[in-house]
Amino acid sequence: MNEELDSQLSAMFDDELPPAECELLARRLSRDENLKARWGRYAIVGAVIRAERGVRLNAPLAGRVNAVLLAEPALAAHTAPRDRSAVRLHWWQPLAGAAVAAGVAAVSILWLRGQVPSAGSPLVAQATPAAPVTALVPAASSGQGESYVVPRPKPATVIVPSTELANYVVAHSMFSPPVARRNLLSAFMTSEPAAAGAEEAQGDVKSIAR
Amino acid sequence: MSADASDLSLVRRVQRGDKGAFDALVLKYQHKLVKLVMRYVRNPAEAEDIAQEAFIKAYRALPQFRGDSAFYTWLYRIAINTAKNAVVSRDRSPVEYDLDRNNNDESYDMQGRMKDSETPEGLVLTDEIRSTVNAAIDALPEDLRTAIVLRELEGLSYEEIAAAMDCPVGTVRSRIFRAREAIDRRLREVFEGGLGRAEELG
Repeated sequence: MNEELDSQLSAMFDDELPPAECELLARRLSRDENLKARWGRYAIVGAVIRAERGVRLNAPLAGRVNAVLLAEPALAAHTAPRDRSAVRLHWWQPLAGAAVAAGVAAVSILWLRGQVPSAGSPLVAQATPAAPVTALVPAASSGQGESYVVPRPKPATVIVPSTELANYVVAHSMFSPPVARRNLLSAFMTSEPAAAGAEEAQGDVKSIAR
Repeated sequence: MSADASDLSLVRRVQRGDKGAFDALVLKYQHKLVKLVMRYVRNPAEAEDIAQEAFIKAYRALPQFRGDSAFYTWLYRIAINTAKNAVVSRDRSPVEYDLDRNNNDESYDMQGRMKDSETPEGLVLTDEIRSTVNAAIDALPEDLRTAIVLRELEGLSYEEIAAAMDCPVGTVRSRIFRAREAIDRRLREVFEGGLGRAEELG
């Protein structure tokens, strides 16, 4: 027996062999019955030194396990990657994926627009009511009338659907092809100012009405 | 040195369909596993059966083993669960009472231990293996004996042994190998003689 090989085997048994050498020796160990028998005796030496009482040192456990596993299919049948032809994509699969993504995006846009309240209820963020915004100078003490009025600040408007839509577009942009994404974004951009303008107009009408 | 590289290289081979590599893993860990299972069942033959079942379960589960933990840690958990389940199912099964059993628990325990595959020949051979290995270790030069005992008994790495013995790691590797070779020479003789005797008796 090659002494260098045996030395490597001893080091491998102790997990002290470099991984590259382990790979080579593992291959040989799995096929060489003499090497395997020596490996098994190294295990026995360890068991004796550790004084593993009650354990049969010559138990044919490995042989019994081996006999059972002979009837088992090799694991490669379960774990090996599938045949390359099986995983090859057909030409239409990316297009179909893009069509599905575009369809989902379109349905989502329609759904989100359906969620926008009608013209009777303006799109205003439901923030907590602020403190009174109109500060009147107390005039009672001075006996003078109201000298001036601090203008009421315009309430901030938040366009909720737009944010959701933007998030949706960003989140799904990686799944849609560039052309579909561009169309979706352009549609989104063109519809945005109109909605924002309508909201501003509604806000103005309300302030005038007050 | 990457820990568990040796086991992992064998595991990867098994995962690629090499059953012989699993045989090496069984040979390496069978005694440890039987000893572990014997915390739950005292009968060595039963412990061997449970260890066998644990190895087979491990083989079947190997496709799911990713190597996040050491192979033995993973195997250890499988063996513990298998042993616990075996104890539970045994406790549920009807117990056969021996009406002739007297109060001599020692002799009863010996009968229990010697059932199934445990033959007198096997017991003798185990004792012979044990005494041969111990005698071989005693005959080793001090530096070889210290190195192999630190490795096998204390579980120290080569680097730790090198620090303890104040020598290079390469020397530790060489000492452990030479110690194993010296013990193995004696052990081979026992195995060849023991197997010969077993055949004569058979």
